[in-house]
Amino acid sequence: MQSLYLEGNSALHRLSPRAKIFSLFLLGLVLFISNNIPLLAVVMLLTVLAYRSVGMPKKESAARLKPILLTIAFVALVTFIVNPWHQALATLLRLTALMLFAAAVTATTTIAQFMDEITTLVRPLERIGWVKATDVGLAVGLVLRFVPEIIARYHAISEAHAARGLKVRPTTILTPLIILTLRDADNVAAAIDARGIRRHVS
Amino acid sequence: MSTRDLVLTALFAAIIVALGLLPPIYVGIVAVPITAQSLGVMMAGVVLGAKRGSIAVLIVIALVAMNLPVLSGGRGGMTALVAPTSGFLYGWVFAAFVTGFLSERLVNAGQSGLVQTVSFFLAAVIGGIFVLYPFGIIFAAIVADVTLQKAFLGSLFYVPGDVLKAFVAALVGRAVMVGYPLLPVRA
Repeated sequence: MQSLYLEGNSALHRLSPRAKIFSLFLLGLVLFISNNIPLLAVVMLLTVLAYRSVGMPKKESAARLKPILLTIAFVALVTFIVNPWHQALATLLRLTALMLFAAAVTATTTIAQFMDEITTLVRPLERIGWVKATDVGLAVGLVLRFVPEIIARYHAISEAHAARGLKVRPTTILTPLIILTLRDADNVAAAIDARGIRRHVS
Repeated sequence: MSTRDLVLTALFAAIIVALGLLPPIYVGIVAVPITAQSLGVMMAGVVLGAKRGSIAVLIVIALVAMNLPVLSGGRGGMTALVAPTSGFLYGWVFAAFVTGFLSERLVNAGQSGLVQTVSFFLAAVIGGIFVLYPFGIIFAAIVADVTLQKAFLGSLFYVPGDVLKAFVAALVGRAVMVGYPLLPVRA
């Protein structure tokens, strides 16, 4: 599975992930408190600049922005119908600004950086005893490792249906998919314990 | 959390991700397409119970936050976390928890198949619709700046599809329980 990160060397690429995420939430706060249209327009133009500074190739940019802008257009249309026009315009500016900055943050931060941030976030919970930070990494690793297997299994079950002349129905395909995948869990768990990967669990 | 529980949870998170990547399944004579990812969330509660089901969803959200395109349609990253529809994503955690909680309480091995299926259906409907929708509606009302009433009316469109999904989740949940029972047994 490909991450949404794009290689590059812009200012945003070099900024720390914590600063970017913090800015995103700060931006969200500012956007949603303010109702001032000129201010919102200026902020939106700044986010456009931030987005363009990332240096995304046009095709990639279009592919990513299309679903987001479609949603925003739809919401804007609905709000134009039900709300006064200046309120709808404010909503349009807000959402566009937020989405563009979010897309810029997404494109300039790697999985590893996010992973580190999540692990740091989880550490205080470790002291309470709720969760181990290493377990988070293990869980994420397991998911990434097994998604291709599950997809392959889905196709195998699908072909088995076709071979028997059966139509693919949710109950007949999801049931074996889930049971077979969960049966793997025992073997995987035994392998993890045998390797002592989770040393804190004896 | 025991290693087995952790692996079960992670594997079910992988199932939810895989369901987002696979094409929709067509159901019924009219060929209604079911995008299976929200179905996966209901099934997480029904198959794994409250704790493991909700943690599986949390893992999926962590993957989204980590910039992976795991939501159906290849969506992911920060944009999926701050969009008008993101309330439904966060609500999935509570939906899976409630569905799992009710499944653990209502269903046991001694009941007939029909009773078990109906109980799972109730758990999926209460968790997947009555608990989930308020999160989505309130978040959308705030982000899109519409009244709660209008956000509520807008969301009604999806209810029939979700009721159908709850039905499928109940059937699959019951079948999985027969083949590989995982719900903690409550005496």
